[in-house]
Parts: sequence; C-alpha cells; structure tokens
Amino acid sequence: MAEDIQNVRNIGISAHIDSGKTTLTERILYYTKRIHAVHEVKGKDGVGATMDSMELEKERGITISSAATHCEWKGHKINIIDTPGHVDFTIEVERALRVLDGSILVLCAVGGVQSQSITVDRQMNRYKVPRIAFVNKCDRSGADPYRVTRQLREKLNHNAVLMQIPIGLEADFDGMVDLVTMKALRFGGEFGDEIREEPIPEGLVAEAEAEREKLLDAASMFSDDLTEAILEERVTEDLVRAAVRKGTLLREMTPVFVGSAYKNRGVQPLLDGVAHFLPSPLDVENTALDLDREGLEISLSPDPDAPAVALAFKLEVSPYGQLTYLRVYQGSVAKGDDLINMRDRKKIKVGRLIRMHAEKMEDIPKAGAGDIVALFGVDCFSGDTFTDGRLNCSMTSIFVPEPVISLTVKAGDNKSEAGLAKALNRFIREDPTFRTHVDQETGQTIISGMGELHLDIYVERMRREFGVQLEVGMPEVAYREAISRKAEFNYTHKKQTGGAGQFGRVAGYMEPSQDGEYEFVNEVKGGAVPTEYIPAVDSGFRKCLAKGPMLGVEVLGMRVVVNDGQSHAVDSSELAFSTAAVGAFRQAYPKAAPIILEPIMKVAVECPSEYQGNVMASINQRRGTILSSAEDGVFTAVEAEVPLSEMFGYATTLRSLTQGKAEFTMEFAKYRRVPESIAEELKAKAADKKKGGHK
Amino acid sequence: MIEDYSKISPLRVLEKSSLKELGPGNLGVLMARAGVGKTACLIHIAFDKLIRREKLVHISLTDGPEKVASYYNVIFYDLVKALNIPYEQDLRVLMEQNRMILAYLNRSFKMERLRENLGNLVQFGGFTPQCLIVDGLEFLEAGRGIVEGFKSIAREFQAEVWFSAVTHRHIQEINDRGIPNPLHEMDDLFDIILQLQPDATGVHLNLLKDHDTYGTPVAGIRIDPSTFLATGREG
Repeated sequence: MAEDIQNVRNIGISAHIDSGKTTLTERILYYTKRIHAVHEVKGKDGVGATMDSMELEKERGITISSAATHCEWKGHKINIIDTPGHVDFTIEVERALRVLDGSILVLCAVGGVQSQSITVDRQMNRYKVPRIAFVNKCDRSGADPYRVTRQLREKLNHNAVLMQIPIGLEADFDGMVDLVTMKALRFGGEFGDEIREEPIPEGLVAEAEAEREKLLDAASMFSDDLTEAILEERVTEDLVRAAVRKGTLLREMTPVFVGSAYKNRGVQPLLDGVAHFLPSPLDVENTALDLDREGLEISLSPDPDAPAVALAFKLEVSPYGQLTYLRVYQGSVAKGDDLINMRDRKKIKVGRLIRMHAEKMEDIPKAGAGDIVALFGVDCFSGDTFTDGRLNCSMTSIFVPEPVISLTVKAGDNKSEAGLAKALNRFIREDPTFRTHVDQETGQTIISGMGELHLDIYVERMRREFGVQLEVGMPEVAYREAISRKAEFNYTHKKQTGGAGQFGRVAGYMEPSQDGEYEFVNEVKGGAVPTEYIPAVDSGFRKCLAKGPMLGVEVLGMRVVVNDGQSHAVDSSELAFSTAAVGAFRQAYPKAAPIILEPIMKVAVECPSEYQGNVMASINQRRGTILSSAEDGVFTAVEAEVPLSEMFGYATTLRSLTQGKAEFTMEFAKYRRVPESIAEELKAKAADKKKGGHK
Repeated sequence: MIEDYSKISPLRVLEKSSLKELGPGNLGVLMARAGVGKTACLIHIAFDKLIRREKLVHISLTDGPEKVASYYNVIFYDLVKALNIPYEQDLRVLMEQNRMILAYLNRSFKMERLRENLGNLVQFGGFTPQCLIVDGLEFLEAGRGIVEGFKSIAREFQAEVWFSAVTHRHIQEINDRGIPNPLHEMDDLFDIILQLQPDATGVHLNLLKDHDTYGTPVAGIRIDPSTFLATGREG
C-alpha cells in the first residue's frame, strides 16, 4: 500500500488567467487516455474543455469552480484540481492548495510572471506547496522562456532551473532538449502522441551543455552523491533526478519545463516531471487538531488501517445531485462505511464512492490515504472533517478571508423567493467567502463576498441555475470602526429598586491594539471584580464591538484593560457585570477618538509601458497610493493600494484608458482610516438609515 | 522622532560638511566593497529623508519591488527598536505614503524611461520626489554619460540623488584626489562622496568629498556593523 501511495500525486494547476491551464489540463487528460479527443476553452466545436464544468465558465472562457479529476501516467495515479485564475475566486485556489501536495505553476511564455502568478505563488508559499513550472505558449509570437525563468527568479524569488531548452521559438517552436537525458524531443501525430527521441540539433549542442551545467550546479546543492559524481564524471539520470526532487520537495528549487499545450508539445515530459519531482502524500506531513486534547496538533499517518480522517474541501452541484469532494488523509474510506462529521457529529453512510473526471465519473469500492474522491448526497459544508468515529479530531481550517463587499438582493416575485433562498443556502455551503444575512433594520437580504466579480458570478448563477428574477442593489463596502487613542472608563451599573437588584462597577481603559485584534486583559487585584464575573465583563465588551456606535459596524483592534471594580454580595451577577461593561464601553468610546476604517485593496496593474501615466492617474483619482512601478521590457507593472469603495467599475475604466491592453488584479490588503470628509458623509448616511429604519 | 533619528542616522556624517546636507540638484554616493552593508546604509539615508516627510523614490536596477520593500521592512524594524518607537504604525504609514519604488528588471533601465516615469509620477501620481535613491548601478559599465543623465534629472526635478557604488578589492586604483575606482574618473559629477570602510575596530563612514573640498580632515563617524546606524562616536 505504501508503495501505492508513493505513486500518488495530488496536484493543482495554478496560474494567471489565460496562461492556458485549462488547455494543458485537457491535454493531460488526453495523453493519460481519460478523454479521446481534445477541445479548447471557448472551443469552436461548442464542446469546451472538459475541466470547465459550469455553463457560465464555458461562456466566459474562464474556470471558476475547481473540478477534480483523476488520471494515470506511467504507473502514477495523478489527481488534478483545476483552479480558477481570477483573484476574486482565490478561496477556490486556497482550498485546492490545502488538499494538494504539489502544483504545476503555468506561465505564459509571452506574458511571463504576471500579477496573478504572484498572488497564486504567495498562496502556494502559505501552504508550503512544492511546485514545478511549465512555460506554456512557446509557439506564440514574443515567446521567451528564458526571460520567464529569469522572472521566476527575480519576481518570485524561486531558484528556477531549466530542465529543458526549447528547439526554436514562436512559429518555429518544434520540441525541446531534455537536459537530463541530453536528447531532443519532438512530437508527431495529429495530437502530438508520438514522441521521438533524437540527437540534439547541432546548433543547440553548446547551449544545451551550458544549461545542463547550470542544472547540475543547482541540483548538486541538494546531493553530495551528485557532487561526487560530477567530479568523477559519472553522472546518471537517476542521480540528477533524485537531487532535483530533493530540492523541489524542500521548495528550494523550481524545475522549469517548456512547451505549448495548444500545439501538443511538451505535455508528456511535463507529466514525467510531475511523477519525478512532485511529492507523494508520503512526502508531506499532514496534521489535525485533537479535539479530546484541547486542539493539540497531531500528525496523520497514511497507514490504511489507521482511523480514517478525511476533509470535505469542495461541494459541487452536478446533474445527479450534490457532490462532496473529499481528500482522505489517514486510513481508508470504503463504500458502505459510516463516517462522522466532526462539526455536527452527524453520521453519514458512504453510498457511492466516485472518482471524478470533470463531468464523468467512475465508481470505486475504496479510497486510501492520499486519495481524492467524491461522495454523493452528503449534507455538509465545505471544510468539514469526517472520521470513522475512532478519532475525535478536526483538520486545521482553510484560511478564509473576511468578505469586503456587500450588495442587497431582492427576489422579483414569489416564485423567485423560494429559488433565492435555495440558491443562497447552496452557495454558503459551497463557498465560505460568500456570506448572506438579513439586515435587521431594513429587512433586506445582503450578500457579501471578496470582490465585484465574485458577487457578479453568484448573481448570474442565481438567475441562470435557479431561475430567480433578481433586483440587485449597489455594492457597498464593509466599513469598520476603531479607536485611535487611550481612554479610561469607570462605570457603575446599579439597579437596586424593587425586585432583585443589579450591581457591578468596572474601571480600566481601552486603547488601540497593536495587532489589530481584540484583546481583553484582566488586571483586577484583590478580587474587586470577583473572578467568576470577569468573563461576563469580557462578553459585555465583545457585544459592543459587534456594532460600533458611529456606523453600526464591527469595531476592530481594541485592547481593553480592566483594573478595578466593585461588586455587591447579593446584587452582583453576570448580567450586572455584562451590563456594566456595556456602560463602560459607551462611556469611554467617544473619548477614545473613534475613527472609521475602510478596506484597502492591493491593486496590481500590468500594461504596456506607454500607458503608465494613464494608469497612475487612474489610481491617483481613486485616492490610491502608488507603491511601486516595475519596468520589464515593454511592460510596466504598477502596484498600489486603493480603497475598495473607489474600485467599482475599474475594469471598464482601465480598458478604455489603455485600449484594452492592461489588466489588473486586486486583493484585500488592510483596513485604513477614511479621510475626515468621507467619514462625515458616512456618519450622516448611517444616521439617515437609522432614522429610515425606525420609521 | 526626527531629533532622535538625527543622532543615529548615517547622514550625521554631513554635520561636519560645508552645507550640512547634499542639497537639491546634487549627487551623493556611498562607496564600499561588496558585503560591507552599502544597501542597508543607503536605506538608512532613505529613512533619514522619510522621517523628515520628504518624498522619496527608490530606483532599483536589479531587484524587484517586493525585494526592495523587504529590505526597507528589515531596516524599519531595526529603527523601531533603536528609537524605541511605541506606535510603529505612524512610522510605517510615513514610509508607505512617502516612498515609491521604481524597478527596472532584466536590464530595462533607460535614462529616458526614468525621466518619463518620474514625470508621470509628478503629473499623474501627485508625487513630487525630493530624493532619489539609486541602488545597483554598475558605474564601470554605465560610464560618465549615465551619471551626467542623473545629474540632469536631479536638477530638473530639484531632487537629491544618492547612489551606492561597489569598490573592488582587486582594483586598487585611486585618483590624486583620493577617490577610488570606479568613481575616480567621474568624481567631479558628485557633490558628496562617502566611503564605508571596515577595519578591525568596526565600520567607519568617511567623507571623501564635501562639495568642492576633498579629503575633509577628521570627517568620519563610526557605524554599528549590525544595524548600520551611527554609534555616536567619532570615526
């Protein structure tokens, strides 16, 4: 079994939008014989690439949902998750990276390392995912895999090493030289199925030797055996591959492959690279939190007989019902088994166990540690942990960013209301960054997410998949409140007339916290506030933080120190102290110079250099701060921080400013104080809304 | 904060200079052998400007913006520690709002592009630089023409320009004014020339040229080799 696991590869394919990753996935499925013909994204044949499972994705030519698929290559079982490229959907990427052991970073040979590649790379670092790079589109005009490799080093700080060099480029691209075997590889047949190994073309021998030297130099850093072999001139292919594998698994080396998926060149050697250099589940340490021992981190073992632990990382609606994608981390899961959902302790029966190939499926009897499979009809949320009941543990949760943008949605008629409820219920299970709630004051349904496009997609899905007639309001950003200086409180809550009395006094101060988190500090001495009431004081303050006095939004980054107080032998209670804390908050908050914070997005714009001025002007007009501008050849990448409230419709503006030649990505960076004039506007608006709500 | 920083800033070395500063439109350079701490010292010079709320553009000819920003972050934490700043957020905001990084990757640097980029910053970005920090310029390769280009930019934008320059152990060439290679044939273009010199007792920052005066006597300070801040002792 361990030998089997050794040959499992759970990989993601992550990249900038339009780098050709869906085409690459399609070719991988073709060469691994999971499909028998190839299509394109936005295919002329109307079929579309197999990995784009949703209608909307097919129409827009982008991949929104991850679809997991399984294939086999030279004795290796490869599970692939196709991940979205747009930054608004990074939770999908985050989820994929959580369950994957390695990844292919696809880069365009013309566009190189673009802003989205940088974002995705950052995410891969967060989850410590080893990767290999594939420089795609070497057949395109302007292709330069050497430049892209340099960019990997300079922009992403990768120790990027070419494993191959291209034979010809642009229209002349005709295969590659493998620097390990020192053979030329050419691809024949209608879809590049026939690989011919040939001697290196004469004109490329010197270059191939020079690049091989660099490869050996880099690889020898990870293997003394290889270093010795180099000195003694007895280098073998296995020695080189073992050293490169070691460097890759340590994430200290990124092997770079070249090719053109569209032209059917270089995909099979890349698959060899996946098998040679990316980790198996045995190479990766996975942990869970032991719920019986206060969340103590425990290692999971890929032993098939150990208690089963699996993570539901993706929910998807298929034509046959709800599919739940699971990664098995420990033990095994078989058809007919009972599993317990650690969140709600509900038992589920494993009915069918499926291996997915995009929209097609294959029933399997059993899945072992390291496998990625799907279950039918399981009622759960994305991120739930399942065990066989022998262990009480939870996989550490996926990093879920807080939503930064909201809009109101209203069903147009009675029939739509039911559809809307059904759609919202499904989306919150699928996507933890998509939230919904009903505003208590206005009764409106609010949806929140990570960006304009993120919410746009859900609105479209409500209309198309659920047939909801929808009225959509203007997007609103998630403002927050905070205090900007220290203020003291000393508040007594006293109600001692008639019936049971209430008494509690709390004194101390509130101040901005350094790390932006809420912190409660108990410095009470001598039992002035009895210990049993301290949690009630904390909870009173927490209650106030949920709805700040200025805008009624969450208060961030406050440190509350309680250092004195008073209690009454009969009249003090948890309620009395909690109420005293609320009074103390209201007393001190206005004195602590409260401010309004707005979400600031890190925006990266890439454009031909002649548009740099226009781009800078557009950022400046949006109250943005330009952080940097990097020139690389004829392209400029401008990085800035811009308030989210100013970014609505930016895609359209940018298109018209640059004749459609620029693109941008953005992600939440931080909260920052809004200028005074805007704060006043927001306060007036909140007051109006409050009045309206009370009418 | 300004007063506290003045005491430990490497630019304290200019207290003894004729103008006490480099001055707008002028070029200054910090010379040292590789690995002595040029970049760290140069970034301290940058912080000296940022703390005075001057607008600064860091021009990198080798590293990308992320790497440059990470250098600043390292120095930032050294400063927070050295100055014992209670609310570091204020200094961070000051740094982020007044610093802009211009990077030229893969040998994309051209004087004309720099001029355009700075022009765009002023015209469209509302950012008028008072100081340019130039890191990674290979003087031997660049030659006099490029430095003259910077001089003209310094005058056009009325900004101070600070460079770093690598001296090589194996090239001992020094001109008769005491200026080592690679600046020995273009020292006339610089108004201030500083040299970081390590020895057994520590690192010294020496003033080799002060506007029109060369080899100012007793004009150096000691630098802490771990933080590259001035130690408060004479050099």
